[in-house]
Amino acid sequence: MKYAFYPGCVSRGGCPELYPSAVRVAAKLGIELDEMKDVACTGAGVLPQYISDPINARTFAKAERMGLPMMTICSTCQGVFGQANLRLQDPEYRAKINREYLADEGLEYHGTTDIKHLLWVVMEDYGADKLKSMVSKPLTGLKVSPFYGCFLRRPPEVVTPTKEYNARKTYLEKLIDIVGAELADISGKGKCCGFPVLTANEESSLGMTAKHTGEAKGKGADCMVTPCPLCHLSLDGNQPRAEQQEGKEIGLPILHMPQFLGLALGFSPAEMSLKRHIVSTMAVESKVNMLA
Amino acid sequence: MQATFSIYRKQPGQGSKPGRSTYTVELADDATVMDALLKIRDEQDPTLGFRGSCLHGYCGDCTVRVNGKSAFTCTAKVAPLAGKEIGVEPIRNMPVVKDLISDWDAFLWDKIDMTKPWLEPNGSAADGELQIDDKVMARVRQAMSCHYCGLCDEGCTVLPVDFKFVGPAALTKASRFLFDPRDQATTERLHILERPKGIWDCVHCFEASEHCPREIAPTERIMEMRDEAFKHGISNDQVARHHHSFAASVKRSGWLDEGRLALESEGLTNVKGLMKLLPTAAKAIARGKAPIPYLHHKRPGADKIARIIDKAEAKEK
Repeated sequence: MKYAFYPGCVSRGGCPELYPSAVRVAAKLGIELDEMKDVACTGAGVLPQYISDPINARTFAKAERMGLPMMTICSTCQGVFGQANLRLQDPEYRAKINREYLADEGLEYHGTTDIKHLLWVVMEDYGADKLKSMVSKPLTGLKVSPFYGCFLRRPPEVVTPTKEYNARKTYLEKLIDIVGAELADISGKGKCCGFPVLTANEESSLGMTAKHTGEAKGKGADCMVTPCPLCHLSLDGNQPRAEQQEGKEIGLPILHMPQFLGLALGFSPAEMSLKRHIVSTMAVESKVNMLA
Repeated sequence: MQATFSIYRKQPGQGSKPGRSTYTVELADDATVMDALLKIRDEQDPTLGFRGSCLHGYCGDCTVRVNGKSAFTCTAKVAPLAGKEIGVEPIRNMPVVKDLISDWDAFLWDKIDMTKPWLEPNGSAADGELQIDDKVMARVRQAMSCHYCGLCDEGCTVLPVDFKFVGPAALTKASRFLFDPRDQATTERLHILERPKGIWDCVHCFEASEHCPREIAPTERIMEMRDEAFKHGISNDQVARHHHSFAASVKRSGWLDEGRLALESEGLTNVKGLMKLLPTAAKAIARGKAPIPYLHHKRPGADKIARIIDKAEAKEK
């Protein structure tokens, strides 16, 4: 199994613990990664479509030339890519982008690049059974709330284009089961974390952070797991400010999906860089360290 | 078929505590939830309040939540739900007037009113009728097919934390006029839409599009309006700083200088805003996870990415 690896900006910026955790986990599972180094930020839904579609078409063309499917480790990158790739399936639109933007560089996108988040890679390409066989340290007794990030749930034409993909909406819950942890389900798991409006409406953004982390805490979760580093910035990085705004203590550790899986694969909390979080992960570390 | 309903009840007026009433009714096999509500009101409880108008799944007036999922009572069939108690509640994010009757003025009509929902024609025809080719209207036809059922607002992620957000339904109405080729008020409309609680408060989570029963895709309509604002020059200062810093970073280095983005979004002379970032920044530095602004390196191929962005911007302006 080999992928053109697109790490995204945040996994080496605001969440530098994500990149090494994902690379270590992939190596342990035998997933080969060929990192794409000369490609752009996706635009993250901030840049308008008329800018982000051409720069993303360039990325897809480069992966196509490598002859590999792409792998992301960020729900936002995955979502922006998925939506752009769907638009680029229109031959007329693709030809226009190729002609106006990619031809200068001698590139052409043929519309064949498949893009998957690591969560989809392990659940679909690697397989749940094989993944279960790799779990060396079941996270027994750890209560975990899932939090997807919008773009691993919607829009349906990108995430669940046919019924066979409906299972994507429950992959995190399945992962929690595979690693032997206990599910603390929350109603907000597929909602927005609040990050996209941090600039335009901070109060609303922090309100969402408090709502989701508070719900998980109320369900008795020891931690929350997310496949999106932007959600992590909001749920972990902004949690203290959300607590202040809402006038309540939450203190919920937020784990990146590769960190969570990595712990079950036998990596130590230090190897998964748990110390690099804003909300202390000590409670999770203690529970994990007590496990055989 | 016999079915039992547990229905949300609330009396008008502030301070009245909501409760639930349970009713069991005999229904035809093809009965809808609306049939059940009518039967309950006619035969068991004339005080039960609910709305309905077209009774054909068209107008959206009867939108409620049935077993936790938004639905039109006039098209939702009872048969697949019978056997267990069926829960019926008013839709979320809307103040309740009585029982299943919600306050549509506060929820939708007042918000639509804020978006200047009328055409400002950019010319007049000699015969008094401004006719245009049907093909030119293709872009706004989707938004024009909205019947204001409220399901997009019901699914909205923002409204539960900020009821003042204009919301996807009213913003869809706004897009119908913003992109109407006969309209001349583009700049004024964008200024209205860019005010706090407008287009920039949307988190583009696609819940609205997923909830829309008519494939109008309200989230995409909002994103189109944001792209239009970007093209015309964003008038909301803080959002403009954020977007310009973001675009400049990708153009400069190929990827995002997050530390610089955080500072520039607040404004380099905005002392109060910058102070607000300090506690989190200090923690991030202590944990070795703060992206250091301005030390951000350029990625290979950055010049080629910049050329594409320059070209795209030039084409749109």
